Amino acid sequence: MNGHPQYAEALALYAMGALDNPQERAELEAHLGTCGECRRELEALRADTALLALSVVGPKPPDRVRQQLMKAIAAEPRMDRRAQKPYVVGRMRPRWFTFAPIAVMLLLAVFSMLLWREVRTYRFLLRQTQAQLEQLQADREREQKALAEAKAINDLLHAPDAWHVDLVAQKTRPQPQIKTIYSKQKGTLLLTATNLAQLPENKIYELWLLPADGSAPMPAGWFKADDKGNGMMFHWMTSAGISAKGFAVTIEPANGSETPTPPIMFAPASAG
Amino acid sequence: MRVSGMQAPDHRDDAALIARLRAGDQNAMADLYDRYSGVVYGVALRVLANTTAAEDVVQEIFLQLWRNPQAFDANRGRLAPWLAVIARNRAIDHLRRRPAEEDIDELPISTGIDLEGEAAQKLAVDKVRGALAQLPQEQRTTLEMAFFEGMTHTEIAGKTGEPLGTVKTRIRTGLLALRKVFA
Repeated sequence: MNGHPQYAEALALYAMGALDNPQERAELEAHLGTCGECRRELEALRADTALLALSVVGPKPPDRVRQQLMKAIAAEPRMDRRAQKPYVVGRMRPRWFTFAPIAVMLLLAVFSMLLWREVRTYRFLLRQTQAQLEQLQADREREQKALAEAKAINDLLHAPDAWHVDLVAQKTRPQPQIKTIYSKQKGTLLLTATNLAQLPENKIYELWLLPADGSAPMPAGWFKADDKGNGMMFHWMTSAGISAKGFAVTIEPANGSETPTPPIMFAPASAG
Repeated sequence: MRVSGMQAPDHRDDAALIARLRAGDQNAMADLYDRYSGVVYGVALRVLANTTAAEDVVQEIFLQLWRNPQAFDANRGRLAPWLAVIARNRAIDHLRRRPAEEDIDELPISTGIDLEGEAAQKLAVDKVRGALAQLPQEQRTTLEMAFFEGMTHTEIAGKTGEPLGTVKTRIRTGLLALRKVFA
């Protein structure tokens, strides 16, 4: 023990199983794995503890213990134990422990394979989801852009300083004019009007859709002109898909009418 | 009292006894028991202070040695000290109510002390007792707490109020003092 005095006391405790500091114990066991001199000292210290044990030797066990033992031995077939056991520093590990690493390795291999398959599936799903997300983002950007444009148009039309300028041939007086934009597919309709005459409080301008099948004109919203003669209206038809051959505007009572009241004040330019 | 170990001088060598045991000789087991059951029982009884529990430890250890005689390597030590330490460890396990070991411990112990035969054993026991009596009381108590009560050095320090370093030193110097008697 001259070589490693730093382990001397820990080694004596270890020989008795009395070294309970895990760090000290681990350090000593690591050292014992590489130091033959300290291993021999450990064996000598165990012999010293055996001497301590001898101090209490004296009483003999009752005879029945011997009889029971011999009976048990006679009844028990001898197990073959040819395998050479490796040198161990501490107490022998249980036999199942020898197979534990192999079992753990096999379990790990199976687990890894399952995990790999899972990962592959999740990668595929992830790629799909990413593509969907990108598509959704693109759609959202388009919609946002369209919405921004629509809002800008709306803001322009409603701006207090919106300056409506109609360019006409020179020496021509500004004429009242109504423009409509209709989408049959969406069933929506936008109307802008300029240079309209002001109406009494109890009157409004009402727009009529003239169905292509020749049936009765359908109400298509009403509006008023502001003090500059401008008007604007957005209208949802009662349903989409109505084919129109034209539009007409009449002057109606303040709550609007279900059928147009002559005369027709405005009609499509082509029809005029 | 059985003295078969004494009566058969050609069997007094541990290695020969173990060789017979490995060959499945039940008489070898009987000889071995007669020679060393006192060592195992004495130690177990000191630790457990209960005859029934100590008898269980004796049964357990000898039966496991019968099943696995390779656990003892005659080249690495002698049977008596090996059995004494095994008995102590197994008795401490019983004391702590630890689950029973499936197999006997493999503990290399190096000693040249002759304990084969009752006369040699008695001589050794007397020498050890004499050496222990020479130790200061605190040192003897510390050694006994660690060995026969299975207390760790921290537990001993906690119980005696001694510093950890003192406990460590006492255990080592106490063991070395015993070794010196047989040097």
